[in-house]
Amino acid sequence: MSTKKEQAVETVDRSRRGFLRAGLVGASAAAAATGAAVAPAAAAESEADQKKARYKETDHVKKYYQTNRY
Amino acid sequence: MARLKFLCDADRCIECNACVTACKNEHEVPWGINRRRVVTLNDGKPGERSVSMACMHCTDAPCASVCPVSCFYTTADAVVLHNKDLCIGCGYCFYACPFGAPQYPKTSNFGSRGKMDKCTYCAGGPEEDGSQAELDKYGRNRLAEGKLPLCAEMCSTKALLAGDSDIIAQIYKERVAKRGYGSGAWGWQVAYKETIAI
Repeated sequence: MSTKKEQAVETVDRSRRGFLRAGLVGASAAAAATGAAVAPAAAAESEADQKKARYKETDHVKKYYQTNRY
Repeated sequence: MARLKFLCDADRCIECNACVTACKNEHEVPWGINRRRVVTLNDGKPGERSVSMACMHCTDAPCASVCPVSCFYTTADAVVLHNKDLCIGCGYCFYACPFGAPQYPKTSNFGSRGKMDKCTYCAGGPEEDGSQAELDKYGRNRLAEGKLPLCAEMCSTKALLAGDSDIIAQIYKERVAKRGYGSGAWGWQVAYKETIAI
């Protein structure tokens, strides 16, 4: 014997929930795309790059040495 | 290949702490951490000396020797850097360092340590040069911009020297020669014309 409530549930059109599913997939895709875009910027340097010399004797540095000579 | 070093001329340092402030501001160092500090010996007595101290970028760095996760590395120009992604905040480097350079941010009210933070010689870290991630984790990368550490560049009395060790050693040698006294008699004897036993 089915109650009135069960009958109401059966008559619900389930296709409308597809809208939510589509939204969820879209949000995941957007998050993945953002992650992919950010990842290269935050990527660590290779081991050789990490240990490379960073010092350069630029005009700025030469001026610093000059001002320290007195 | 240049070997980068700091050299503090104790006769010139006036304990203004501008190097400390500049470092904190340039690298957005969190509360409770000082990558650089000024140490004063015999404070308030005749002959007091101040020295600006930070990571000395040791050739055989004890912090690197004791690190259980090997997060330290030395660059080709002799700057000791570390990787905060590998650091576990154990604190061994803090105990090993004779200069107290490694510092830890307070991350909770239960005494747990965050990732170690120390002077990078304004050389950033293992992230890409000039990236936002590098700035957030390690501070500004001035060496990649063709500059030297800010603490030394803005020192008002030119007490703190930074750069190629051969060049700054020569500059210091010239200063000592110009002062005209032996190694134990700089500065104070010139000012007070008397010998002060420290």
